[in-house]
Amino acid sequence: MKETSQNDLFDSLRLELRRGCLILAVLAQLRVEHYGYTLRKALADEGLAIEESTLYPLLRRLETQGLLTSEWREEQKRNKRFYRLSAAGEVILSQLLVEWNGINESLHGILKDERAR
Amino acid sequence: MDLLERYLQAVGQHLPAKSKNDTLAELRANLLAQIEAREEELGRSLTEAEVAAILEEHGRPMLVAMRYMPQQYLIGPGLFPIYWITMKKSLPLLVLAYATVQAVALIFQGGKGFDPGAAIGHLPFVLLAFWAWMTLAFAVFEFAHGRYFTEIKVSKRWNPFDMPPLAETGRRQSRARGLADLIVHVLGIGWLLAIPYKPVLLVGPGLGYLRGLPVGLTPEWHIFYWQIIALLALMLPLKAAGLYASAGKWRNGLQIAEQVLGVGILVVLVEARTYFVPTAALTMHSLGSLTALNVLLGLCFKIGLVIRVFKLLWDVWKMMTESSTPRTGCAVV
Repeated sequence: MKETSQNDLFDSLRLELRRGCLILAVLAQLRVEHYGYTLRKALADEGLAIEESTLYPLLRRLETQGLLTSEWREEQKRNKRFYRLSAAGEVILSQLLVEWNGINESLHGILKDERAR
Repeated sequence: MDLLERYLQAVGQHLPAKSKNDTLAELRANLLAQIEAREEELGRSLTEAEVAAILEEHGRPMLVAMRYMPQQYLIGPGLFPIYWITMKKSLPLLVLAYATVQAVALIFQGGKGFDPGAAIGHLPFVLLAFWAWMTLAFAVFEFAHGRYFTEIKVSKRWNPFDMPPLAETGRRQSRARGLADLIVHVLGIGWLLAIPYKPVLLVGPGLGYLRGLPVGLTPEWHIFYWQIIALLALMLPLKAAGLYASAGKWRNGLQIAEQVLGVGILVVLVEARTYFVPTAALTMHSLGSLTALNVLLGLCFKIGLVIRVFKLLWDVWKMMTESSTPRTGCAVV
């Protein structure tokens, strides 16, 4: 396989791998209220950098799905839209976390031989 | 902040009117917060180039706007497999229907005014129009279902015992091969139909030389010609049906029927006996050569006929013995 196509394949697989994780991270982070920019910073501080053009539309989508609530509020003389996990979002988040932990444990088991090498 | 406003205006051009103001207000607040954080970091106001760098990193206005739109498909992943199967299944039927229509037109016009080249040349446009209409119909269905009527869901329940029996290894003809066979057959008939009007299709550049010879096809050629065309046309529905027949007796039966028609073609050719006749006075030697040519051609057709009959009998015998023994198969796991 050519190096370029291998890199492209890696990028596309990495994107696919990150997509689900990012939703989980955003939902978890929004147990505390944030607006777009501070949420992005908070995620980046935790080592999970995410592009603005991905994060902001994602917040809208999650809100449309009823997992987040939002409200416009003035902060430092500027109107900002603050997001927070909704009641439905909390239920979904806990279900997703159970799923995530299951996958994580399975992967640990599958990869233990790899780590032992 | 002129650059920021220009950026927001450019994004806004691609946003739906309903959510435009709300989206732009949020985007403005987030970008301003990012700019202010950077200014705080540097301890000074940002230059226009630095603001431009932030906007560049944020993304092209149109792409940014697109990300706020709901995901849309012409034909979504749920419907696409059904669309694909429908296209695959209906394509051979369309080719068959087109060939039938052309054959009927040929019969009713008695060969006069019928242009085989135009009939074949028109086929791609018919296929293209069919593809466009089918795609449009599925796209309309995709748009409407769930919006204007209840979403149709394919049941997860199915019966594994309904699957066709295991085919013998190496025996089963793939559908692609069957389709290619059908297309080649249609083209072959078209080619044969075109020959009387354009003999160059048969002998190519040698036509000029042959026209100079005092020899031509027997005047009865059109009798066996049309008999052959009729037998080839009868093969079409059998080949098309073969695409849908599952492995086993049904498919074997169709193949046997095709072989019978193939034998019929050779019988017609053998029965013709004389293929070429003199068109001008010939010497005794030339006349003898022409007779020998007719005998040789007749012999070739007879040998072909014997081989085809043996093959037919062999396949019939095999089909009969297969049907009387229980079928077994193996699968690679």
